[in-house]
Amino acid sequence: MDILLIVVNVVVFLGLAPLFEGIIRKLYAKVQSRKGPPIVQPYYDLIKLLGKERLTPGNVAFKLAPMMAFASIVTVIMLVPLGFKVNILTQYADIITVIYVLTLGGVSVLLGALSSRNTYAMVGASREMITMIMVEPVLAMTLIMGALKAKGLAVSTSFFSVGDTGYGWGVALMLVVFLMALQAFVGRQPFDISEAEIEIIEGPFIEYSGPYLALFKYFMMIKQMFYAFLFVTVFMPFLQTGYYLANIGTQLGGILAVVVLISLVGSTNPRLRIEQAVRYYAVLILLSLTAVGLTVYGI
Amino acid sequence: MATIQALTDQLKKKFGNAVTGVENPSATQLFIDFKKEKVREICNEVLAQGGRYLVSVGTDNLAKDGTLGLIHTFAFDKEHYFLSLRTATKESEPIESITPDIPNAGWSEREYMDLLGMKFTNHPKPKKLVTADDWPSDIYPLRKEVPFNIKPLAAENVAYQLDECPEGCSIVPFGPYHPTQHEPAHFALFVDGETIKGSDYRGFMIHRGVEKLAQTQISYNEIPFLAERICGICGSVHAASYSQAVEIAVGHKISRRAEYIRTIMLEIERVHSHLLWLGVAGHLIGFDTVFMQAWRVREPIMWLGERLTGNRKTYGMIVIGGVRRDITPELKQDILNVIGTIEKEMITIKNAIIGDTAIHRRTKDVGYVSTEDTIKWSLVGPVARARNVDIDVRRDMPYAAYDEMKFSVPVVDCNDVWGTVLVRVLETFEAISIIRQALDKMPNDGPILTPFEDAVPAGMHGITAVEAPRGEVTHYVITGEENRPERWRVRAPTYPNLQGVPMMLLNNQLADVPIIIGSIDPCFSCTERMEVVDLRNGGMKVMSQSELEALSRNKR
Repeated sequence: MDILLIVVNVVVFLGLAPLFEGIIRKLYAKVQSRKGPPIVQPYYDLIKLLGKERLTPGNVAFKLAPMMAFASIVTVIMLVPLGFKVNILTQYADIITVIYVLTLGGVSVLLGALSSRNTYAMVGASREMITMIMVEPVLAMTLIMGALKAKGLAVSTSFFSVGDTGYGWGVALMLVVFLMALQAFVGRQPFDISEAEIEIIEGPFIEYSGPYLALFKYFMMIKQMFYAFLFVTVFMPFLQTGYYLANIGTQLGGILAVVVLISLVGSTNPRLRIEQAVRYYAVLILLSLTAVGLTVYGI
Repeated sequence: MATIQALTDQLKKKFGNAVTGVENPSATQLFIDFKKEKVREICNEVLAQGGRYLVSVGTDNLAKDGTLGLIHTFAFDKEHYFLSLRTATKESEPIESITPDIPNAGWSEREYMDLLGMKFTNHPKPKKLVTADDWPSDIYPLRKEVPFNIKPLAAENVAYQLDECPEGCSIVPFGPYHPTQHEPAHFALFVDGETIKGSDYRGFMIHRGVEKLAQTQISYNEIPFLAERICGICGSVHAASYSQAVEIAVGHKISRRAEYIRTIMLEIERVHSHLLWLGVAGHLIGFDTVFMQAWRVREPIMWLGERLTGNRKTYGMIVIGGVRRDITPELKQDILNVIGTIEKEMITIKNAIIGDTAIHRRTKDVGYVSTEDTIKWSLVGPVARARNVDIDVRRDMPYAAYDEMKFSVPVVDCNDVWGTVLVRVLETFEAISIIRQALDKMPNDGPILTPFEDAVPAGMHGITAVEAPRGEVTHYVITGEENRPERWRVRAPTYPNLQGVPMMLLNNQLADVPIIIGSIDPCFSCTERMEVVDLRNGGMKVMSQSELEALSRNKR
């Protein structure tokens, strides 16, 4: 039974992440008066890439990076409380672990970029690094706020804190900040700066192709779904119904809503320059710190 | 006010014997011959009198009198005429460069070093421009004795040397193939972090020798179709400009109705081109929704082009002596309907763009060039009008039916990329208004084509400019024997504007490079489809992508 819950986690995330990606693409297309690819296109993309030749510049880090990225995100999704239900792995991790492992995914992207020794990849890596340093605090603050509210670093404590102890001004502020950072978390316009196809040709991923690229793409799809999931679980505890399967259903509904939001914001904004984005992130960090401060005083 | 008379007197007074001849065949044309020693002083005097540098034309007269000719051309916009300063030099003797004073002459002079073997003294950057890196240094392809299809042995160890990279900077290559550029061109960017501290440009990788082809292989009446293929977006302006140059050179008059139809075609082209640019600009700043919507709005005008001329693009409409197809009353109504719809949608687009602060953030203060530098560098078109330089040859040197059109020339003083967006959006509305006026006032009679009665006499010079969507196109024609021009010089608007790009890039961010290069609207073309027509039975078949791929792969 313990194993079954983990299997459900893995199956739901790995199975549905490309679907949400497909929905985003379709919504982009609708906003742009296009027909768009079929919703299942990301599955086809992954399958096709996985079947292609493996080309590498010949160093180990280049091959290792996509696997590390993929492994790290799979680790995270295995221990999160899908369906508002903790599984056996959840107790072995706390929010620090979650933040660490998520960061490892970003670091893997940097590793891959730097090992490819391409000029555009270098530019992309430096942009990716800046984005990580500036956006990660918002994620950390969100989880720390939960920990402070419910007085515990455990994943379940932090994730369910709003449900257990109720909303407050701090939570409301953090909710807004999280939404404002969402596009940066998932690397979409206006914050798709580190990939910026037209400037630096997909940046960190320029040298990647075939199965390695598939792993990175899959990693990013799952990451996107994870951040939507995180938002739904932390800030929308009212979606709990009391039944495990129904909970999964309502959570997926919530994720869908977040995905729609991501598409609408993404398709109606141009890309920012990195230094403009940094100013924006700085404001987000300050606001998230404020939210934590408010929480400390129980506001 | 330097009228033709005043300017001639001034130059004669100041340079005395150095001015050897003056010709003023028509109200818009002034040709002055002078001795080459005074080239720099005379050009400076012309600038001081208010001349605006256009382009230089190099000619090969070696067979005739053993000289290489050089013609510097200028426009006097306020006085409505073109000035061509003609000189010549012996093959072995160098001529002084005017680039130190007129930076935009840099490419023209480099071009004639490559193509004609001219020598210039004091040129600030005497590097290869047009010919390939491995083109032998002693073959000058534009000379008469060199056949058009020559394939010389490649020279060895001749890689292009980039300009020196400033200390502490690293080189980021934009090109030869880069998604920002839709045709091969290489910008080497010298960046410090993400800030651009300099750049070097190596282009002309797909130079097709169009001028050489026209001067050696085809005849007057065929050249408009070749001219149209210079640009995949604004081809009509080249056909119009060439045809006008020949008509002006020999004093041929075409019917008023044909002039009106030319005006309509040129403005239709402007509407489609500006919409296309708007879409590309959106794409370049990562805003694909603008891209898709602008192109959706543009599509009906492509279909309209097909109904008017038989082609979506490369209309094949404008030829020497007039146009090839008439605009019937049904087509007239069709045009009115299409531009009506486009105008409505343009208003929505305009409001969306002008109010979008996110677009402002990416375009304001980007690619700044001061008004003085814009004039100094002879930039043209929306690039200049966005920087408070009020030039537009439709108004200043009226051609076709523009003398009877009422329109304003949008000029803004943002001096940046945002200005070019604004100018192009506003110009689209002006273009729609011009189409309406032209349809309204167009005379109902008159032949659409007035062919030449006699053979074209040799040795006549003609220069003309047409305001293309990207700026003015300048064509210079010298008529020749064998029913083809002796020399035909084309200057597309990207030619001067691209020379200004390094200045626009300086101290901007790497992320702004695409939109800065894009803001001059460099020319590119793409073939969207291919149809195979069976001539025997008239059957038609559109080839699929896989069939085209199979075809191109099998060819290997």
